[in-house]
Amino acid sequence: MDNASIENGFIVDLSNAKNTSQLIYELSSILDLPEARNKKICLKLGDTDLNQSQLLSIKALIDSMQDEIGMIDTSSAQTKAAAETLSILVAELKNEAESENEQVVKPEEIDTVLGIVTTVNDNNEQSQETIPLTPIADFSEVAEAGGLVLNGDSKYVMMDTTGILPDEQKNHEENPESLPTLYLNRTLRSGQTLSYDGNIFIVGDAHPGSEIVAQGDITVWGILGGIAHAGAHGNVNAKVRALKLNAIQLRIAGLYARRNDTYNVPFVQKSNEFTPEVAVLENNSIVIYKKLRRDE
Amino acid sequence: MSGRVIVITSGKGGVGKTTTSANIGTALAKAGNKVVLIDTDIGLRNLDLLLGLENRIVYTIVDVVEERCKLKQALVKDKKNPNLSLLAAAQTRDKSAVTQEQLKEICETLKKDNDFILVDCPAGIEQGFQNAIAGASEAIVVTTPEMSAIRDADRIIGLLSAREEIESYKLLLNRVRPNLIATNDMMSVEDVVELLACDLIGIIPEDTGIISSTNKGDPIVNDEKSLAGQAYRNVARRIMGEEVEFLNLEEDKNFFGKIKNFFEKTIKDIKAKI
Repeated sequence: MDNASIENGFIVDLSNAKNTSQLIYELSSILDLPEARNKKICLKLGDTDLNQSQLLSIKALIDSMQDEIGMIDTSSAQTKAAAETLSILVAELKNEAESENEQVVKPEEIDTVLGIVTTVNDNNEQSQETIPLTPIADFSEVAEAGGLVLNGDSKYVMMDTTGILPDEQKNHEENPESLPTLYLNRTLRSGQTLSYDGNIFIVGDAHPGSEIVAQGDITVWGILGGIAHAGAHGNVNAKVRALKLNAIQLRIAGLYARRNDTYNVPFVQKSNEFTPEVAVLENNSIVIYKKLRRDE
Repeated sequence: MSGRVIVITSGKGGVGKTTTSANIGTALAKAGNKVVLIDTDIGLRNLDLLLGLENRIVYTIVDVVEERCKLKQALVKDKKNPNLSLLAAAQTRDKSAVTQEQLKEICETLKKDNDFILVDCPAGIEQGFQNAIAGASEAIVVTTPEMSAIRDADRIIGLLSAREEIESYKLLLNRVRPNLIATNDMMSVEDVVELLACDLIGIIPEDTGIISSTNKGDPIVNDEKSLAGQAYRNVARRIMGEEVEFLNLEEDKNFFGKIKNFFEKTIKDIKAKI
């Protein structure tokens, strides 16, 4: 099972809890920790069945500790339905590797979670690990100055990040296919950040003001309006795809492109105006292709 | 160089704090001053949009206080005016991400090599407001000629006057509609000044051009023909210490009145001919 992460949050693994009361007991003991205040919490509930009122009391518990439910990860249909009624985000995490060889990725292995990761293991001992904040500047590369016209289209221009991002670069080439994928069916709104140690696939729009950070590819089946950072740890093979690519900034590995000032985005866009596009890194600049290529 | 730190605040939301910040900042920079605009509305930032700088933001004020970058790296230069730069707010966090001490420190650092630091304050009187005023020694209270905005402005003036660090506070009356004042449907400028007992620094007429300038990300002071732009330029000159007469909005109304009369007369003539 993979873990999604939301900025300034942590994951609580309660999938081993035997019943609801144990689950609430575990959760409250974790929330009591001083580090756990004002955080977004991702709950791993495993196959525990929760009804709407049980989930509501968990939500109230989290709210009372000045925290917020970021998302829940559950395999129970009942819990899923209850969460949807309460408009809590359910992250259905799919991992091809998992089904093939039962590989389990522990939350500890995910290094982009901002904040702390707490897991509850079988003998109910809590193990805590503080994971340092990963600055986006760690994997940077100095962009070539000047406005590059991309694929005959001046929708985006490369940003000169000299003096803004540090000079050192740690680029690598990794096939995004080998990474796990986070699948989300929702709208990402202004102020929401989604970061994941793998690929991100969103069915829905990513509104302006939202931020998506992935170690692999980012695919938005809808309008991408916020900031998208693919290959955030320096993977130069990462790509950004969207049905409508309006991102205010496109970032791949350490290269940044901003939407051109002269490019006007209409207030409302109809689906018949969608033109699927893909942004890739080529020759030290971000190139946008109008159509998804066959090898895409 | 020791710059002046001016907070632009109002209490009530939607009276034009951010528009005022963007326009005064641009006008001051156009007049040759080095200006930094700080957006302290963390979580609901807008100032970057009004300046058309949204696509250039790499780091925000939260990255600065959390030491992910240097202050200098987070300053976004304006497209048109190299004298103007913006320290953007983070959209993905909330007001608690920055403390009063941190904001004060940022203001102190920026004072060293800028003439003006304008702090765009969020609505309300909670932590966001307390943060915004922390480093300021001057304040501009924005209000509109409406009872609710005036009540809130009065509350803000009370809070500001109780604060020793604030040496002066001035009132900016926004969205004034002279034709409504003429028909007694809107409070007059004199009424507002009397109610609030506070010195005026500007009167800005309601201008539909503001809407398109906001959407375009181009402050209205860049439009030489706009009356609101002229009013904002005058505010900037007053901040710089010049004595500038307030615009006579009545005269302008008469001018429009003349046009209206002209059209009415023409229509009457046409009708008579038919």
